[in-house]
Amino acid sequence: MFDTTLSLTDVIFLAKGAGITILVTAISVVIGTVLGILFGIIRVQLGAVLAAPLTFFLDIFRSVPLLIQLVLANAFMGMVLQLQLSGFFVACMVLSLYTAAYCAEIVRGGIDAVPKTTRRAARSLGMSWGQDMRHIVLPLATRVALPSWIGLALGVMKDSALVYVVQVTELLKSTQILITRLQEPLFLLLICGAFYFIISFPLARFGGYLEKRWSND
Amino acid sequence: MFDYTFQWKQVLARLPKMLDGAMVTMEVAVLSMLIGIVLAIVLTVMRRSGSRPLAAFATTWVEVARNTPALFQIYMAHFGIASFGIHFSPFTSLLIGITFNNAGYLAENFRGALKAIPETQTRAGRSLGMTSSQSFRFIILPQMLRIAFLPMTNQMVWAILMTSLGVTVGMNTDLYGVTQDLNALTFRTFELFAIAGVIFYIITKVITLGARLAAARLFRY
Amino acid sequence: MKKFALTAVLLATTGLAGAAQADKLDDIIASGKLRCAVVLDFPPMGMRDNNNEPIGFDVDYCNDLAAALGVEAEIVETPFPERIPALMSGRVDVGVASTSDTLERAKTVGFTVPYFAFDMAVTANSESGIDSFEAMKGHTVGAVAGTYEAIALEEYVNAWGEGSTFRPYQTQADVFLALSQGQLDATVSTSTVAQATVKSDNFNGIEVVGKAPFDIDYVALFTRRDEYGFLNYLNLFVNQQVRTGRYEELYEKWIGGELPDLTVQGVYR
Repeated sequence: MFDTTLSLTDVIFLAKGAGITILVTAISVVIGTVLGILFGIIRVQLGAVLAAPLTFFLDIFRSVPLLIQLVLANAFMGMVLQLQLSGFFVACMVLSLYTAAYCAEIVRGGIDAVPKTTRRAARSLGMSWGQDMRHIVLPLATRVALPSWIGLALGVMKDSALVYVVQVTELLKSTQILITRLQEPLFLLLICGAFYFIISFPLARFGGYLEKRWSND
Repeated sequence: MFDYTFQWKQVLARLPKMLDGAMVTMEVAVLSMLIGIVLAIVLTVMRRSGSRPLAAFATTWVEVARNTPALFQIYMAHFGIASFGIHFSPFTSLLIGITFNNAGYLAENFRGALKAIPETQTRAGRSLGMTSSQSFRFIILPQMLRIAFLPMTNQMVWAILMTSLGVTVGMNTDLYGVTQDLNALTFRTFELFAIAGVIFYIITKVITLGARLAAARLFRY
Repeated sequence: MKKFALTAVLLATTGLAGAAQADKLDDIIASGKLRCAVVLDFPPMGMRDNNNEPIGFDVDYCNDLAAALGVEAEIVETPFPERIPALMSGRVDVGVASTSDTLERAKTVGFTVPYFAFDMAVTANSESGIDSFEAMKGHTVGAVAGTYEAIALEEYVNAWGEGSTFRPYQTQADVFLALSQGQLDATVSTSTVAQATVKSDNFNGIEVVGKAPFDIDYVALFTRRDEYGFLNYLNLFVNQQVRTGRYEELYEKWIGGELPDLTVQGVYR
């Protein structure tokens, strides 16, 4: 069906794009998760009123299209602050905060899912706040949060397709460059889509499996 | 402090055009949600039907929608499908792309919601003399939609945000497209996109708050 | 002692001021690198070879400029709508991106004298029956978002009224892809890109059918508008390219045929 002129160098070119996609995703998910856990705990500890400014700030990342976040951050850092940052840096920065905003919600949900009485029991047994967090909340909240977190990480990978707008040549952009030269849109797009699917699908299934397993007992 | 002169006046003069764009954005998002919900119900029924080809079709749809980027889906709806000689306008391509995505995610939400409804209810309906389609329509479906109401609100917000991807298929009437066109004319990138961001923020807030109020009224009991 | 401190402060501030006064030209020479914004889906001005490396008239032009400055050239690919934002955000030093020197843009960036001139051609899908610019009326036409020809064409389409539709795409490739798929009936682009694309055999069923009645599209290099030193240098560079015959050489290499005149009759620049 497909009589392609795709050469080995083109395949390597695509693989490079895929590498950038994975790299941007990995950096953003790691930084975003650390920040997200921090923000999530702060929100729970401070309570709704005191944490309102933080909640508002994080909410922006979930209410404005990622494309606009990227364009704005790029314009602000470059045009207004006159900082010489690479597109890659801006992309990771925005995606990290974007991840953190969703992750904070997941963490908050996880902590809230730990019954208050369990935590009170832990504290009355003489555990410190830190001990309670580590030995009681962490294991219980993780069960609730981990499946959603996997979903989030995969979401960030898919959303990283938008970083082309700050001149980062990730997988989808590499595909478009090849389409320009080879004029085989359907074939190249299918390769590109298949790549995302192959990474995303098994992990999504694994997340579903964990969710099912952990919600049964 | 900054070595940059903000020029809001020039940009604010273009606000009416951007608000027109916001209306188109709303139109695409609402249509894609309505069609998406109907399709998601169909997909859910297919997955429960027991027919293997139907279930396989529905599952493929859901998994592709959930495991590839929305941008890819929209680009595919325009340039990919056109390889077969079928042409859609930018508006239709964007609508198809987002609807495809919505239907996939919503079908998964519905599946989760169904798990929360005991099987015995269907059996109860059947024993009251309802056909299986009647018991699905009158007993299961309303509960399913209620349980899935919050995820549906989230998906609506997603649909709004996804309209910004229409520029890749030649869309220039939605909020993002209008903003980009204005940017090509004036190059006030920061000011223009900041205003577009604020409009998007307001739209999503109105929708989430509206949904919360509606939920409080609808699901009081 | 006090006097000494004062002198030290004075010296420090003048030193700082001196450092701040190093302009773009100095910065480029000092950094040893010239970053050019080039559009790479715009053959034959900018494109990619079989190894996906950048080539084309603009790429060579950037390399010449870097050689003249005695630095290394770095090609930064920028889609049409991102050319000027890329400069303003400091990601590139100069645009060698076939950029029309419009007055609206000159409010934001500084243009040199023209280094190239295009005329505009109409390319149509063979099945559309379009054989001239006027015949585009009542059809779906498109161009690359944010370009000179897109802005001009959209005005025509608005004037034509009902039935005519204008569609901007993000890249030149998307435009020709949509055109060959029949999603667009015709497009207006620079005649060089039109001819190069039709000749490349990458797209089926499209042909150049005529010229668009737009003014000659003079394109210029651009940099930040307050960098007079660099702008001066660039102007002289453009002049030297013509004087030394390098302009003609590059034109012959990438385009061929009659060399476009870069001067406008009857007016100074």
